Amino acid sequence: MTAFRALLKKELTVLFGSPVAYLVLTTVAILTAITFFEHLRLYNQQLFLYASSSMAGFESDTIPDYINLRDTVFFPVMEQLGLLLLLPIPLVTMGVFARERDTGTDELLLTSGLSPTQIVAAKFTATFGFIVLMMAVSFLYPVTAIFQGGLGLQHLMAVFMGLVLLGVAIASIGLVCSACTSSNIVAASSTITVTYLLYDFGWSYSFVGAGVANVLEVLSLHPHFSRFSEGLVSLADITFFLMMALAAAAIVRASLELRRVSA
Amino acid sequence: MSAEQVKAAEGARVEALGLTRHFGPHRALDNLDLEIEPGETFGLLGANGAGKTTFIRLATGYILPSAGAVTIDGISPTHDPRAVQARLGYVPETPRLYPELRVEGFLRFVAGLRGITGARRKRVLETVLERFRLEDVARRLIGNLSKGYRQRVSLAQAFLHEPSLLIVDEPTSGLDPLQQAEVRDVIAGLRGRRTILLCTHDLDEVRSLASRVAILHQGVLVAQGLSRDLLHGDDPLRSFRGAAVGDPGGGAA
Repeated sequence: MTAFRALLKKELTVLFGSPVAYLVLTTVAILTAITFFEHLRLYNQQLFLYASSSMAGFESDTIPDYINLRDTVFFPVMEQLGLLLLLPIPLVTMGVFARERDTGTDELLLTSGLSPTQIVAAKFTATFGFIVLMMAVSFLYPVTAIFQGGLGLQHLMAVFMGLVLLGVAIASIGLVCSACTSSNIVAASSTITVTYLLYDFGWSYSFVGAGVANVLEVLSLHPHFSRFSEGLVSLADITFFLMMALAAAAIVRASLELRRVSA
Repeated sequence: MSAEQVKAAEGARVEALGLTRHFGPHRALDNLDLEIEPGETFGLLGANGAGKTTFIRLATGYILPSAGAVTIDGISPTHDPRAVQARLGYVPETPRLYPELRVEGFLRFVAGLRGITGARRKRVLETVLERFRLEDVARRLIGNLSKGYRQRVSLAQAFLHEPSLLIVDEPTSGLDPLQQAEVRDVIAGLRGRRTILLCTHDLDEVRSLASRVAILHQGVLVAQGLSRDLLHGDDPLRSFRGAAVGDPGGGAA
């Protein structure tokens, strides 16, 4: 446990000792704010249009039900946030294993009495901790504004959980890619490619049979996430994301063990 | 004094039997038989690519042998790498350090990896900082240190848990003469009460530090004996070129 704590602390020190962490947090905060305020501007514009007496054929004081903060601002922002995460998360995960391999510090870790399981556990925990922080930063704007819009706390918590789990899944893919190379660039670009492919297989359903389409639907990240953004917390979706993280941890651990044979 | 401490005070025994390692078709180490006695400073000599680092990586459990075995105090790093690694400290040729950490922070981190905590950690850190003359740079970032200081930090991290076996790979490689002398001085101060395996291609280094040496050439052990016998003859470089001792004709180029 002492070794795990030491490595976890080192990971956080190295992460927050580099500009990448602050750059990612700032970028995510700015992009979220821009996306949110853009949707809020469009919402206000629609309200204005409907409320305007110049809108012939409509009662000036009638606003359709579907134009509300929840459906016009919150959901679209959350959907876009999911896509937005595909870019900054690989920047965080790319160096976690690849840099250790590139600089040879993996040799220090693997000859200092740490087991591959401890290394994987500490590195995954540090990365997932950062993902939670990143999500909290990205969630700040929508939550503070939307709280006035009548969205319940339970719904907000469900959305936040969905965002965190999506982030964990993308980070898991990133950590596997990082463990398979010694190049940060290769790790980041392969993470982006794999995540884009896995994000939504919807485009391929017309080319494959119903059975394959069902499997692809299960493997896609987006359908699992979108249910959270609608406020639906399903055990199957939670299990899907957690299984992805566990599978990634097992793959990374196996790659560390395999290096003893192939290095 | 516990049995464990007695063992640490005596140093570890290293034995290799038929140790072989392939990298694809390349045979980096071929059927190596070697025995290092507890407490001795042993030099493993050889040109670049002779198989020295491969031997170290096998002994530390970083890689697995293709055939044969190496044991530290009778424990195989293949089967129980954690038990072996608890007994050894390893100083790689290029210091494996984190440039964004401060010297003290890095040593605290390694102490944590070694399970050293609390008051003992404080005491151990003070001891190594003083022993390796790192007090002045304790608060400096490792990335801002000179090569000589980095090598000292690397030595200090390997020494934190008072290992019974210290493995040092090319400790003065890339250092200026003054830094080389300093590092040799530090290693000389660590002799006794522990086994030291010194891997190098520097004959002077081995002459000044090691009592016994083995010479590797292209993965094969070509000579083994007292350093004064092997390295003080007319042509001490002969073994480097692959000649077994006693072969007057010289070896393969």
